[in-house]
Amino acid sequence: MICSDAFKATGDAMAEIQGAPGYRYLTTPHPVAGLTSEQVRERAEAVAGEVARLLSE
Amino acid sequence: MTTDPDPDVARAAIEYCYEQGWTDGLPVVPVSQALLDQFLAHTNRDPGQVLWRMEHLGRECTVQTAAINAAMAGCLPEYFPIVLAAWDAVMRDRAAKGGGWQSTSGPAPLIVVNGPIRHELGINCTGGIFAAGFRPNATVPRALGLMLRNAFGVAPHVFDQTTQGIPGRWAICFGENEEESPWEPLATEMGLEPEVNAVSCTLTRTYEFVDNRHTQNPEHLLNDFADTISRTGVMIFRAQSAGIVFCPEHAQMLADAGFAKADVKDWLIEHSGRVEADLRRVGKDAVSEGGLGGRSAGEAERVPGDVFTPFLPGRQSVPIVVAGARNAAISMVFRVFGEWSNSSVEIEAAPVAAVKGG
Repeated sequence: MICSDAFKATGDAMAEIQGAPGYRYLTTPHPVAGLTSEQVRERAEAVAGEVARLLSE
Repeated sequence: MTTDPDPDVARAAIEYCYEQGWTDGLPVVPVSQALLDQFLAHTNRDPGQVLWRMEHLGRECTVQTAAINAAMAGCLPEYFPIVLAAWDAVMRDRAAKGGGWQSTSGPAPLIVVNGPIRHELGINCTGGIFAAGFRPNATVPRALGLMLRNAFGVAPHVFDQTTQGIPGRWAICFGENEEESPWEPLATEMGLEPEVNAVSCTLTRTYEFVDNRHTQNPEHLLNDFADTISRTGVMIFRAQSAGIVFCPEHAQMLADAGFAKADVKDWLIEHSGRVEADLRRVGKDAVSEGGLGGRSAGEAERVPGDVFTPFLPGRQSVPIVVAGARNAAISMVFRVFGEWSNSSVEIEAAPVAAVKGG
């Protein structure tokens, strides 16, 4: 899972309430809503390595 | 023999409630079992009945939990059927069911009461409907806020993701000024019988006044409303919903000119919106018709700059109610968060024993 970093507190709380405290997920800098398609691609490329590492752990 | 209440004992109980995290920042009324029983006596519903369950949070609100929070909010027991009806009414909104309570916009429930119960319980319908000073107006919406906080755990900074929110978020409740309205009451328009006690409720994003005591021309007045409704800052999607709380003077002026409520809606639907060049100037020309996505500025010109985009898709997007005093020609435009259900909920009659004070 990836969420923008403004929502980390909510993400952590959701993980806890769903019975998975400390659940590991990735963040990307907030905001995301106004990004162009190219900027979204850049974000994806920036986080892709971490996604692969998290999934393989 | 009665004795005066002990303020220090009362304060200690209030502080206890603060320590538990049960308050919205203001003091709450500490609730005894006896007080809770009085609230439960004003409904035929089972205390264990689940009003709503938020599956993703694993939390629910029962009739009993609602009663506790209504009591803490400062409601009288006889307000409890209104609290229940308000909750049922707002939860007919797709947005409220779909996570709207946790929205970054921090929407406020707008609660409108129709019927004789307005006068029986002293619900303000005239001067100062958006101001403080009347117990049911202040405490019924606060009850909903406390239910969100205490039953569902939707509190600021965690599950309540509000960015700034709306001033008076848990304080917007009034009766329609049926006596000075030239039009049918809101609940009657929504299909309930006249004189039925009813609540209409939707989530709202903001309130903007229209002060126009300058013209006797109904189209001038409607243009002033259309100008406010057409503000680009409120635009997220092309299709929006904007309602009006008309003061009696504005409503009567329009009615005297032959405008039924539906005519006002149709006029505003036709005239509220912006041309493409205006949307492009504020980076909103790529805004989609609905749903998520399409929020970024357009990268290429989609349509000519003089193409007009109407903002209001239909009459269901323009709720109209009449409230406030005749003191001046000042009305309020409000923005619906998503789309109102366009329905009103009948307020359940309290059991006879409760009405008799039993």
